[in-house]
Amino acid sequence: MRNVLVTGGSRGLGLGIVRRLAAAGYRAIAVARKESDPLRSALQEAERDHPGSLRFVAFDLAEIDAIPRLVRALRKEFGPIYGLVNNAAVGFDGILALMPTSQIEQLVRVNTLSPIVLTKHVVRSMMADGGGRIVNVASVVGFTGYSGLSVYAATKASIIGFTRSLAREVGRMGVNVNSVAPGFVDTDMTRGLKAEQRQQIERRSALQRLPGIDDVACAVEFLLGDGAKSITGTVLTVDAGNTA
Amino acid sequence: MSVRSAVLSQFKQVAQEQNKKLAPLSDDLPLSESGLDSLCFAIIVTRLEDALGVDPFTSTEQTEFPVTLADFIRFYEDAAK
Ligand SMILES: NC(=O)c1ccc[n+]([C@@H]2O[C@H](COP(=O)([O-])OP(=O)(O)OC[C@H]3O[C@@H](n4cnc5c(N)ncnc54)[C@H](OP(=O)(O)O)[C@@H]3O)[C@@H](O)[C@H]2O)c1
Repeated sequence: MRNVLVTGGSRGLGLGIVRRLAAAGYRAIAVARKESDPLRSALQEAERDHPGSLRFVAFDLAEIDAIPRLVRALRKEFGPIYGLVNNAAVGFDGILALMPTSQIEQLVRVNTLSPIVLTKHVVRSMMADGGGRIVNVASVVGFTGYSGLSVYAATKASIIGFTRSLAREVGRMGVNVNSVAPGFVDTDMTRGLKAEQRQQIERRSALQRLPGIDDVACAVEFLLGDGAKSITGTVLTVDAGNTA
Repeated sequence: MSVRSAVLSQFKQVAQEQNKKLAPLSDDLPLSESGLDSLCFAIIVTRLEDALGVDPFTSTEQTEFPVTLADFIRFYEDAAK
């Protein structure tokens, strides 16, 4: 079974991703601070239908110094890591002029610094093992504007820049690196969105609706699969045509 | 296996895997003239971490990279103590 590490695999898009990967024959390893109720049911379901296909590891990704130990422990327990999906993030919004610096720091720490350091340690082992796949979850907000999301947008744009250059750096070693940029999807992160904002986004999307969690999970599965072996350094937008 | 022989065998193995021409491995060989590039070193560091249980370039506040082969081996010997 190919091991795929999915950060933030306990809820929202990450949970959709681990469910899909587990059903597709991977061993998905969900990393998050807490095991959520829906993840608990997914773990039971996976154990019944595809034993060994879904695991949970509790870890706070804001603990940057502990990341090397996490990767070492994961490799010891599960063996080589084939795929890494950097999906965990926080989505605080607020106008920049009033945002506490501690919150700005937390956004950059969890959304940018942490995935970069995690990738550093995982990509090394991928290179030593002869290859692998990395999928970074960005956002359409990384390349379009949305008032109230400037700091979040900065972290998501950083992920796209990171993806492109890292793809060039590690391509020779058989590691593909891509981003997926979802548009707004209904999850805990977007619960604060008002009904009229949501409708406005739908109206402005080519397909007149929002993408679903599984649409994003399918894109991630594709980028991890053999069919995407010649794709690297790119951004796959899944936004029902919101930015078309 | 001693730290020294673990390091030397990784140099040889990675050079072979990556089709690099390895310079003769003497203590005063500058790493920049070893024939290996930085990606090769990334692999060596990862494999040595698996073999020896230490990574002197991550576990400490270490910011400099060793210059010669002897320096490189000493980093590992010190970290493995
Ligand atoms: N929802 C959208 O509309 C949308 C649109 C574009 C892009 N995205 C991106 O998609 C990704 C997933 O978003 P989502 O909507 O699914 O978010 P979500 O529902 O809020 O879930 C976030 C996940 O990340 C984990 N997480 C957060 N902080 C963590 C930490 N410090 N350590 C470990 N895990 C942590 C959470 O688990 P714990 O809280 O238990 O740690 C949870 O599993 C994010 O990268 C987001 O930027 C989302």
